[in-house]
Amino acid sequence: MPAKIEYKKCIGCGRCYDLCPLDVFAWDEEKEIPVVAYEYECWHCGICWMECPKRAIDITYPASFW
Amino acid sequence: MSLEQIADRVVETDVLVVGGGIAGCPAAIKAAEHGLEVTLAEKSKPERSGMASQGIDHCGEYPREGVTLLDLVGGWEGWQRVYNGDGRWFDPNVIYTYYENALWALEELEKLGIPMKWDDGKYYWMTGPSYKEARCMLRVHWQNVKPQMAAEVRKRGVNVLERVMVTDILTSNGQVVGATAIDTRSGDFIVIKAKAIVMTTGILARCYDPETPLFWKYKFRYHWCPASVSGDGWAMAYRAGAELVNMDITGWGFRTRDDLTISFGNLPLNEGIPAKVLNSAGEEIAGVRMSSASKYAKIEQEGTYPIYSSIEDLPDDYHKRIEVAYVDERIVSFKIAEDRGFNPRTHRYELMPNKPHNFQVPDGISVDEDFKASLKGLYSAGECATALGGCGVSSATGLIVGDRIHNFVSEAGEPVIDEAQVESQKQAALAPLSVKDGTEPMELESAIRYICHRYVGQLKSEGKLREGLRRLGSLRRVFLPQLIAKNPHYLMRCLEVRNIMDLAELHIQACLERKETRGNHIRLDYPDQDPSRDSMITYQRMEDGKPVLEIRKPPELKPEYAKEEK
Repeated sequence: MPAKIEYKKCIGCGRCYDLCPLDVFAWDEEKEIPVVAYEYECWHCGICWMECPKRAIDITYPASFW
Repeated sequence: MSLEQIADRVVETDVLVVGGGIAGCPAAIKAAEHGLEVTLAEKSKPERSGMASQGIDHCGEYPREGVTLLDLVGGWEGWQRVYNGDGRWFDPNVIYTYYENALWALEELEKLGIPMKWDDGKYYWMTGPSYKEARCMLRVHWQNVKPQMAAEVRKRGVNVLERVMVTDILTSNGQVVGATAIDTRSGDFIVIKAKAIVMTTGILARCYDPETPLFWKYKFRYHWCPASVSGDGWAMAYRAGAELVNMDITGWGFRTRDDLTISFGNLPLNEGIPAKVLNSAGEEIAGVRMSSASKYAKIEQEGTYPIYSSIEDLPDDYHKRIEVAYVDERIVSFKIAEDRGFNPRTHRYELMPNKPHNFQVPDGISVDEDFKASLKGLYSAGECATALGGCGVSSATGLIVGDRIHNFVSEAGEPVIDEAQVESQKQAALAPLSVKDGTEPMELESAIRYICHRYVGQLKSEGKLREGLRRLGSLRRVFLPQLIAKNPHYLMRCLEVRNIMDLAELHIQACLERKETRGNHIRLDYPDQDPSRDSMITYQRMEDGKPVLEIRKPPELKPEYAKEEK
């Protein structure tokens, strides 16, 4: 799994949803939180990870990159 | 029907900049400084989009003291000959204009608050083996260059259309009058009336698989540029009648299996980091860092495969320099290394043979020294235009275009839009939304990439290329109308695939017409260089709905430039 949101830490600021160059995140209007909607399109740039003020996003390389 | 009835939104502007990357942002900034109304459409968000989205650690090209402009132009041309073989590959006046304005652009970036100097307050010139002669490159801390540029764009009142994909150019009497676009989140169909367009959408990456092979689902993992660079600007410019050039030439990059940063291959060349190449027995071998599959196959036959790039024995100082480059360019590298359990200092990075994976410097929209395309009102800068590449050249050419475009805009006249043209572009763009049980864009894209890989690739021949073209044609007939978009996000992907398909076709046609072997263009059926193709490059355009391919010489350096001893 590329980008993974740890919801306990997420404050719903929306930076990941706002900044992802590949538009991997969607926004859950009801809960006001980001969701990883297009996982397949992640290019592992780490922008969500570096921009998240709470480090609530983990980014790991999937098995196929090993 | 009126424009307001056809479109969900109508935007009016003097200049439309398509693509908010490292060339688009400076173009928008400068055009706005001249008092023009500027709209910037970006598929992502300019704060973190394009080639410099995660940051970049170097920026060039700058003249060395005592070096003439002619030396610099010659140096840039020579660099392209390393890849593409003898001859001239682009209009030298384009790169002349860049070099003439490079130091002005450097000052302009400094005025924008972009950090150009190193920690000690001085310029840090890179002095690797690539930079022994005329050219010079700066090492920079540009992790946040994009948020910084985007802030300057917004400060100047530019109308930023985020998550908006421009799909087609609108023309009237052979002149640009605007463009149509979709909002990739709301699905709104947008008409943008504009007197001029600056196309800065970068290169095309996605008609080949990325550098590192992906056997599973993450098909977007390009490490040079975000996979959002799907050649949109080239494809729409071509469909509108503008000329593209050198579409037979694909780029070749340094490939590692465990890449951590984009610059890994760049560091030995530009920074002079003495990385070694080792075989699996740990013996140092030379001349294979960036070489072909056959060379790698030979090593494999010898039983000493795989081969590795190694920085393990370097003094501490070099490691510190490399680590700063990672911070500037791809800070997530450290985390990935940690997760994977390797130490970036001692890890041996497995090397892989060259393969085509994207398009680079010589190819793109054919422009003249004013960065004007062959379609009136269309301009292009950065990687998107022929002859240009890299963050320094891209940002500078963006600035130059932005600084000059008011001259054109003041004479362009009011754009008159043909509603029927808008309607037909709308129908084509939105079609995938109403398809049921169709083909998902990624499946079609993978099929296109496989065709390019299998039938074009590195070792080309007539039979393979014809087979590729035939398969691509039937793929287009059967599957393009079946593309399905479950929502506006996937509509963007569908429209990208349409662009990739158009360009893959041009790519194969251009390769077919180059019946010779020269530089990295290897035709097994024509193993020799054809002297009649010396400095004869491939131009492609659409004329009255028909594709036209022309092989001709790029312009010569203007006599007044050639004389100067600047």
